[in-house]
Amino acid sequence: MQEKLLEILKHTAEAEAVDWLENHLAQQKEGFAQRPFYYAFSGVSRHFDKQSTVTVNTEDEEALSKATPGFSVANWDEFRLARVILLLTLAEQGKDTFLETLNALINTADIREQVAIFSAFPLLQYPEELVPLAREGTRTNIVDVFDAIALDTPFPMRHFDDEGWNQMVLKALFISRPLYRVQGLETRANLKLAEALSNLAHERWAAGRYVSPELWRSCAPFLTEQIISDLARVAEDENPNQKAAVALIAANSDPDKKLAGLRDDVASQLDDAISGRLTWDTLGQDLEQALLAAAA
Amino acid sequence: MRFLDSHVHMVSRTTDDYQRMAAAGTVAIIEPSFWQGQPRTEVGSFKDYFNTLIGFERFRASQFGIKHYCTIGLNPKEANNERLAEGVMELLPLYICKEGVVGIGEIGFDDQTKLEEIYLRKQAALALEADLPIQIHTPHRDKKTGTIRTMDVLEDVGCDPFKVVIDHNNEETVKTVLDRGYWAAFTIYPHTKLGNERMVQIMREYGGERIIVDSAADWGISDALAVPKTAALMKEAGISMEDIQRVCYQNPLIAYGQSGQLKEHDWEEAKGVDPKELFEGNTLLRGGQDIAAAMASKVIT
Repeated sequence: MQEKLLEILKHTAEAEAVDWLENHLAQQKEGFAQRPFYYAFSGVSRHFDKQSTVTVNTEDEEALSKATPGFSVANWDEFRLARVILLLTLAEQGKDTFLETLNALINTADIREQVAIFSAFPLLQYPEELVPLAREGTRTNIVDVFDAIALDTPFPMRHFDDEGWNQMVLKALFISRPLYRVQGLETRANLKLAEALSNLAHERWAAGRYVSPELWRSCAPFLTEQIISDLARVAEDENPNQKAAVALIAANSDPDKKLAGLRDDVASQLDDAISGRLTWDTLGQDLEQALLAAAA
Repeated sequence: MRFLDSHVHMVSRTTDDYQRMAAAGTVAIIEPSFWQGQPRTEVGSFKDYFNTLIGFERFRASQFGIKHYCTIGLNPKEANNERLAEGVMELLPLYICKEGVVGIGEIGFDDQTKLEEIYLRKQAALALEADLPIQIHTPHRDKKTGTIRTMDVLEDVGCDPFKVVIDHNNEETVKTVLDRGYWAAFTIYPHTKLGNERMVQIMREYGGERIIVDSAADWGISDALAVPKTAALMKEAGISMEDIQRVCYQNPLIAYGQSGQLKEHDWEEAKGVDPKELFEGNTLLRGGQDIAAAMASKVIT
């Protein structure tokens, strides 16, 4: 994995920066020492381009997801990738050194360093030791840090317990993060989360506030009376994106036809959902684009 | 006109200040590590403080379109607690190479004790090792002696005066500081230290070379708009726009830019407030405020 990541970094990074990194990795492989590691980890910002984004071709993507399903470096900047490469060397230093150094790093990390550390989690050993760090990390007020833990990564899906998972999904909705980029929404769905999401929707409705249609995706396997009545309300919304959520559940997650009475309200979206033109991913992408456009 | 306030303690300031600073044209700020009004009793308090400077405060500033940098160091007051000071010295290597850390600071003398000198020396050596600029705090009491002693120590360690900003100067210290090749910064406080009008007199006498104006706004009575206000006063007093731009923007950019961590394109290429960082619930801009409109009503020209 480390070699592949270095190869990707080389697509864009200055040769001088890559040389510096490779020299450091070679030194650390001969004999690991904490202080030079700290200097290198923070010093990435002195060698790589602050604004440069890495480029990833199809072959790279395939190699990464073959090695670690769900792992991707798409849209990463050079700082993030270079630091994850360094962390993979740290991970070879034995459990005690690894965890002690990782804790020191995380306790003194700036925003971009935190992003890099959490991004590396799917690649690191001892996930049971990493879970509390990731859970603490989701309490952040800083979007980039939250995103590094929750979005486009298989770590929470594989390692969070239900409590951690549910808190993360609720917070992602609460702070308007694009839920379709959370991996494992279907496999990790649970009744407790579905009920909490329904309650969140009710609070929002009471306050006259927006409820993302992505919220209902985690409720799909749990068509309780309350959730069916919630979906009836969503089906009556004039916004086609709201109707889309009902259509997606009716098309894919309703073998007992509990939503039969709502199908007419969302007929057009239902056609799209059945034909596959509309999926939770296409809906999520549309919502994300709209949110970014509105903010800009 | 754009301003760079190279000394301001934003952890003690409100979002009103951030709004007014952005409206007045402050595009970037440097927050030195300092003491927080009462002595810390644990090394961990320093760690969390440094984390705030490189973390949440940077994020907070970004919400107002202001680029936030910092200097990291053990301040002279708390250098007198040896147990604490040793612990902080062990922490510093974790921070000094980080992105946006533009120097070691603010360090120097307070009571001018032996311990203060020991940690000034150690931190000056660390700045040399990391090739970073130094931000110097000069003492409030017996300032002239303390300022000269600081420069003696720095030169003894081997520091290049062009990489050192000596702050809190006054009419008594400025000449020797400039003569020895250092950057001379002036802190503009509304009632104490230096008022804006005295600054105008100093500019008349010394011009704009290697002089820097800052606010050092903190938890006491101070003015986060000291730099733009002083600039306005200088303009009224007939100081050239070129010199005003130098002392309020260009000079700190050159001095701290020597860290490689402070570049004009950091804010020139930024598109104001990052929309990705504005989200319900967690943004500091509560209730969907229009920050541009809030700022536009307060522009100081």
